[in-house]
Amino acid sequence: MTLAARPHALEEIRNWLVGRAAFYLERPATAVDPSVPLVEYGLDSVYALAFCGDIEDEYDIVVEQTLAWDHPTVDAMAAHLHGILAGEQP
Amino acid sequence: MNGRRPAELERLLGDPLDPDSPLGHRETLAADERGEPSAAAEAALDTYGLNAEFVPVELGGRLDRLDRLSHVLRPVFRRDCALGVGYGITGFIAGVGVWSAGSTEQRRRAAELLLSGGRIAAAYTELAHGSDVGRGELRTEPGPDGSLLLTGGKQMINNIERADAAVTLARTGDDPGSRSHSQLLIDLTTADRDKAVVIRPRLATSALRGCHIAGVDFTRFPLGRDSIVGEPGRGLENVMRAFQVTRAVLPGMMLGGLDTQLRTVLAFALERRLYGRSVAELPYVRSALTGAFADLLVCDSLATVTARSLHLRPEHAGVLSALSKYLVADLVQDAAQRLAAVLGARSFLREGPYGIVQKMLRDLPVAALAHAGGTVCRASVVPQLPALARRGWREPEPAPADLFRVNGALPPLDYGRLQLTPRGADVLTSVLGEQPGPREPAELAALCAAFTGELRRMAEVELPPGDRAVTAGPDAFALAARYAVVLAAAACVGIWRHNRADTDRLLADPAWAITALRRLAARIGLRVPPGPHSGTEAALFALLLERRSAHRSFDLYGDPLAGQPHPLPALPADPRTTE
Repeated sequence: MTLAARPHALEEIRNWLVGRAAFYLERPATAVDPSVPLVEYGLDSVYALAFCGDIEDEYDIVVEQTLAWDHPTVDAMAAHLHGILAGEQP
Repeated sequence: MNGRRPAELERLLGDPLDPDSPLGHRETLAADERGEPSAAAEAALDTYGLNAEFVPVELGGRLDRLDRLSHVLRPVFRRDCALGVGYGITGFIAGVGVWSAGSTEQRRRAAELLLSGGRIAAAYTELAHGSDVGRGELRTEPGPDGSLLLTGGKQMINNIERADAAVTLARTGDDPGSRSHSQLLIDLTTADRDKAVVIRPRLATSALRGCHIAGVDFTRFPLGRDSIVGEPGRGLENVMRAFQVTRAVLPGMMLGGLDTQLRTVLAFALERRLYGRSVAELPYVRSALTGAFADLLVCDSLATVTARSLHLRPEHAGVLSALSKYLVADLVQDAAQRLAAVLGARSFLREGPYGIVQKMLRDLPVAALAHAGGTVCRASVVPQLPALARRGWREPEPAPADLFRVNGALPPLDYGRLQLTPRGADVLTSVLGEQPGPREPAELAALCAAFTGELRRMAEVELPPGDRAVTAGPDAFALAARYAVVLAAAACVGIWRHNRADTDRLLADPAWAITALRRLAARIGLRVPPGPHSGTEAALFALLLERRSAHRSFDLYGDPLAGQPHPLPALPADPRTTE
């Protein structure tokens, strides 16, 4: 099944977000604590917009571009996304 | 039609070459020497009611279209950039912050203030943080009875000394991140401000010497909660949207300064004779003059398309707005420098018939920095390059024809549809890939193909993950700059294609568009097939002379100008012809 076709597990979403943060920070995924606001790692408002773009591409959805501003940690973003995607399942 | 308002202002400001006019170049230069705005010029703008141009129609002003706003300010910038920046544009920048996010009452208050001739300063800059408004240190803390106490300073603010109010961005929350700032509309006329508000001394500047640039320090200055514009905490995103609008109109105004440079140096080149002919006939000079003319038309094309895109495609206008401001400012400054080189030693004289040239040369770079310089503009686009490469550069959306119709209607500006990024979309460059219309020169089609090829190549560039913000390396900034050039090429093609049926001979002739695209290609080292270059240059020079003789502006509009063209002196009889 494609990513879009099966339900998205919260853990899977969280891991993917951690991976993106690690990509921008150019550090291993283990360096990213999902409960720490990403801004404390130096990923500021500008990166937050890029994150939003990545999320839209990965999950084929349209989200508020301020999503990362309103949900500042990986945990918060994952929970929010999980809710959106669960709502989209048939 | 908009034609009335720029013409009315042009008539009011009068012939800049009239030595007795209090609004002419002579007085403009004298005021510049004094480092003060010309009182007569400010009074003339008061009479015209320039502030009404910055207030929306629905609030009693004349602001309905951004392209018209740029157009109406050109007569001002043709005479004095300091007047344009100082009197005009700062009030507009402040206003947009309120029109876009303010309450009914805030909008009414700001409109009333501007319409009655008051001044609102746009106080966003701190020397420690420049244009990085999200990192500003101005902050509020809760005061008694739900009030806010404002502490901190803003520096290098135009007109703060005379301002009745200011619009600014301040930190209103403690959380790190992007939900802790709010826009504020601050009343500076309240009686008890003396200790809590201190205006810092005016700074001496090398250019825009007629502008009063100073700073302000607030120390626990009390503000009502009704000072917050928009939702508390949403200031950063409000400002990011508002700035798309304000950055879009400055380029179209700045062109006025280049018009005067070109007009003045052209007159010099036609008057001065060397080696048995006018300087304008020397191949190098001819090339410099037509090059500057072509560059001016590039700037007008890009500025016009950008302003119109805010009305027609507001969701996708952000990148265009930033890159238009960057590139037009660069092209205008480069052209002004090259024109000054033609003038030679006279370009240094602060007096005499060409004195305006040195003032424009000093003023244009600083006017370009106003509100966000080219580097800041490119920096705002850098984070969006990967999305553009994935999407817009590979599959641009069809460009609506209305983007290019210079005098075409526009829907009202809808601030609510502005987005923080266009999500990688491009709504302009598709025009380069369109089938050529009837009787289009093959040379133009070949140039379009070169630019579409460049866009495809750019889509393959991989930027490292760290290159997503202002700390990105030079490659990222260079890529943003290249995209700006491709956008400009698309704007020129679209403008020519959709206005060639106009009765104006310049607009109908492909010579300007071909020259424009060749110059843009050369700017980024893009190889293009050779073409009949000298024929095109001769055609463009003839069109330049036509505009000069008709005493019309050198832009897409060709507006009639006050006064007469620079007179050419009676030529002494050439002894060789009497043989």
